[in-house]
Amino acid sequence: MHPKASRGSVTASAYVEPQMKLFLLFLSVAFVFVLLQTTVLHLLPLGPVVPDLTLVLCVYWALNRPSVSTVLGSFLLGYSVDVFSSPVLGINAFAMSLVFLTVHLSSRHIWIRSPLFTTTIVFLAALVKVSAIVTLWSLFLVTRDIWSGLLKYIFFDALSAAVLAPVLFYFLSCGESRLERARKAP
Amino acid sequence: MIAFFRRQQVLFSSFFFLLLSVYIAASAATGRLKGDPVGPILLESMRPFQRVLKSVVEDVKDMRQGFRTLDSLWLENQELKGEIKKLQQEMEGLRETEATNLRLQKLLELKEQGFRSTVTATVIGNSASTWSRSLTINKGSRDGVRKGMAVVSAGGIVGQVVAVAPGSAKVLLLTDHNSGVDVIVQRTRARGIVSGSLERDPVMEYVTRNEEIREGDRLVTSGLDGVFPKGILVGQVSTVRKKTYGLFQEVEVQLAIDPSRIEEVLVVSTENDASKG
Repeated sequence: MHPKASRGSVTASAYVEPQMKLFLLFLSVAFVFVLLQTTVLHLLPLGPVVPDLTLVLCVYWALNRPSVSTVLGSFLLGYSVDVFSSPVLGINAFAMSLVFLTVHLSSRHIWIRSPLFTTTIVFLAALVKVSAIVTLWSLFLVTRDIWSGLLKYIFFDALSAAVLAPVLFYFLSCGESRLERARKAP
Repeated sequence: MIAFFRRQQVLFSSFFFLLLSVYIAASAATGRLKGDPVGPILLESMRPFQRVLKSVVEDVKDMRQGFRTLDSLWLENQELKGEIKKLQQEMEGLRETEATNLRLQKLLELKEQGFRSTVTATVIGNSASTWSRSLTINKGSRDGVRKGMAVVSAGGIVGQVVAVAPGSAKVLLLTDHNSGVDVIVQRTRARGIVSGSLERDPVMEYVTRNEEIREGDRLVTSGLDGVFPKGILVGQVSTVRKKTYGLFQEVEVQLAIDPSRIEEVLVVSTENDASKG
């Protein structure tokens, strides 16, 4: 084999392999989050509020890994929630894509990264998500008698996701840096 | 030009998926979306994990209950702790078996009421969102479950099947604000529609002011919506409010069952959805 060809294939595999590991990491996290949301989280003593882990993951991607794959990932996360919960497909998929876009556009102008910032941005993202859901509800479904219920739970729904955000962000970045260290190790 | 698109690829792809989502939602809401290729795969791939996690949760619950029991027994009589613990655990097991037996017996009685077809199913998952109320059951199209079938339990109405995969199905609960069931008041035969609400108990709508409805009146399905068989208990009237204006009175309903606590259900079909399928 030509020495240059050999070096090229090594470089390509050295790039593809970490990307694949990162993809697998995010895929498993997304799977676990959807699984927890559909089986365990409703058991928490929070009334009807289910902490939105998928939203936290979507915000993490928008802030730290904006790419076409994570846009698709956010869409699929929303779609999964639709499959398990929504009476009409596409509503949470739209909301999650909108959250991704909003956070990505905002993050271009924000340079601070701290747990408080994470909490705030996830809280606001939850509000964006609910607004998007309500907009599509009013377009495609019956929306009588929802406003008082929305106002009652919207704050707690956003707060439950926001409170969990710093911890989940920490674990996600730990996972990423572990992969990075493994890649750099000789 | 290509460089510009490459730089802005996140923006363009986001807009693409936003439009795709709206298209899917519009198609699904108007009934134009005939088949969902991804939904059944997701439901199927999650099913074994949901079942495992559900059984782990049940075990943890049992363990917690066991520890509580053990603690109180330890305080009462330390010497007999081991024996009592064993007996207690056995008793818990028997109680659980007895409760399950009773529930299944009631389901069986319900099954014998003459529905066209029935499928007994176990709840394996719950709603993943604050804004909707749904369940996932462990029976799907392979077992004869079809979209639109009614879901009932021994205590009363639970909801309606809205999506089906080969081995599981999604049930939209009666407490979801998008649900509705045609009912009649057992005593006066007044008609109305019971629908879920985000904030409070389900409400009975479209009951005209001249209908005489009292708190405690039992509501049963009318069978006229073509989804739920006639005569199944829905709940009872908890509050009646007649305002000084408007055509209808406000009736709040206490459901006969708490759909979020159900473990086994019966999926039943009426003539209508049998002809659809």
